[in-house]
Amino acid sequence: MKSKSRSKLNSQLYAMLLPNLILFISLTVYPIVWSLRYMLFDYDGIRSASFVGLDNFVRLFTRDDVYWSSLLNTFEYAAGKLVLIIPLALILAMILNIPFKGNTLVQAIVFSPTIMSSAVMALMFYLLLNVYNGDLNRLLLSIGIIQEPINWLGTSLAMVSVILVAVWGGVGNYMVYFLSGLQTIPKDIYESAELDGATYWPRLFKITLPMLGPVLRIVLMLAILAAFQDIQSIMVMTEGGPLGETQVVFLYLYQLFFPISTTSAIQPQIGYGAAASVVTGIILGIITAIYLFVSKKLDDIF
Amino acid sequence: MKKTATRLLIIIFLAVMIIFTVYPVLYTILGSFKTNLELQGGGKFFPSEWHFSNYVDAFQKAQFLKFTWNSLYLSGLTMLFSLITSSMAAYVIARHNFTGKKVLLAAYLSVMFVALGPITLFPQYMLMNDLGLTGNLLGLALVLTGGQASNIFLTIGFIKTVPKELDESAIMDGAGYFKIYMSLILPLIRPILGVVALFSFRLAWNDYITSLVFSISNQSIKTLTVAVVGLRYSANAAAELHIMTAGASIAIIPIIIVYIFANRQFINGLTAGAVKG
Repeated sequence: MKSKSRSKLNSQLYAMLLPNLILFISLTVYPIVWSLRYMLFDYDGIRSASFVGLDNFVRLFTRDDVYWSSLLNTFEYAAGKLVLIIPLALILAMILNIPFKGNTLVQAIVFSPTIMSSAVMALMFYLLLNVYNGDLNRLLLSIGIIQEPINWLGTSLAMVSVILVAVWGGVGNYMVYFLSGLQTIPKDIYESAELDGATYWPRLFKITLPMLGPVLRIVLMLAILAAFQDIQSIMVMTEGGPLGETQVVFLYLYQLFFPISTTSAIQPQIGYGAAASVVTGIILGIITAIYLFVSKKLDDIF
Repeated sequence: MKKTATRLLIIIFLAVMIIFTVYPVLYTILGSFKTNLELQGGGKFFPSEWHFSNYVDAFQKAQFLKFTWNSLYLSGLTMLFSLITSSMAAYVIARHNFTGKKVLLAAYLSVMFVALGPITLFPQYMLMNDLGLTGNLLGLALVLTGGQASNIFLTIGFIKTVPKELDESAIMDGAGYFKIYMSLILPLIRPILGVVALFSFRLAWNDYITSLVFSISNQSIKTLTVAVVGLRYSANAAAELHIMTAGASIAIIPIIIVYIFANRQFINGLTAGAVKG
């Protein structure tokens, strides 16, 4: 009697878990398994797939220069974004950790780009950065900072521009992460340091940064992964151009699956895209592992 | 003396950051009141005359009323699916032991740290297509809801702050688990449900790539972001700059209004479950 009512309750629990489990398995796990299968096929999404073994990988490693240059671009993009966004976010967080009037307003403003559609705002940046009638050139010309219009989305500056837009969209996120990290540092540590006569800079390097270490480690990890994944704004602003200057690896992969754009009208290469995606996933996994290993080692030393 | 200099430096830094942040948004909203001619000519920052007609044109000629409705419907649906599935799963995981619980948690955690990128889009679309769910917004809403690992961790963390004794006394009273979840847990975790609601609404409202893929072969389910960005590729893009800025404003102003009232939930929700050292 008792065991029967208990098993009934258990089935209730499973029923409550099930909706999420179905979504997780069909939308997260299944696509991974799917790619592991189709990476061995030649498949364009229309004709039936034919098994080609490791041909896709041979092509990727020997004949696809675009893939490898887009991977290099991704590293360039990620490095540029991190170098700007992490220090900026850290400085903002340290300033905003001091209570002052208007503090929460400043926080809310700097965080606000994270709530807006990055694709829509990328379209606005595309207008804003236009050479001839863009507002940014007009503004800089009128103040006299520049003498002639700058081609923000031309070959030499396009990468810088997409990085700046990424900083615009993401700095608030990292600021909030750092701020919550700073707030976990006990105040009395500072007080005793102050009694010992420690001024601002020693306190920064001897207390704040080391205490922030664990948070910094996770935030950097998240930032690296995010930098590899954000393609929405690059897709809208440059489509990877001009001349592949801003072609990042996930954008290239996307175009293998969905080659629909203004400039290209080629066949989808599903099987090849799956193979390239798996390789990219492995490369990212290796980078993550190296990062975790190195940062742990650094943690042990300091 | 040195103190005032530092203070001045801080103020300048914050001012630069605020201008950098606000400038593109102001440009968008002010641009939505300019004529196409003024936008093309690259006129002043403020519109020389305020034209509200851009919005009328967007809603009437450019079908933005339909796209706005699609976006609202999609975001509402995604929010509902996310709230229901993540809170039920989080309750079961936070409060009960079952076979495979550790594996499940490890799987959720690992997908948060694995970058899958666009690889998932094609199989997801094909799956929804095979299920016959691409004719309306249902399939897209399910894909945007997804496994929601981060929402589940957020909610688990919050449920753990609710004293377990409350559950136990309810069980003594003969309440079933579903009843406990509905009448005891849900009312107590309302703050975190608010965060999940905001996050999932924002995700669907702002999404571009997934929504684009789903509307390639079915234009009737196009959302606001897809429609606005699509103007860039239309044949007469140059003649539609004012529709672009108006459309972009229609896409960002509602979420800005939500943000004005709920910015603390957005900001605190980000770190509620995540960075804990």
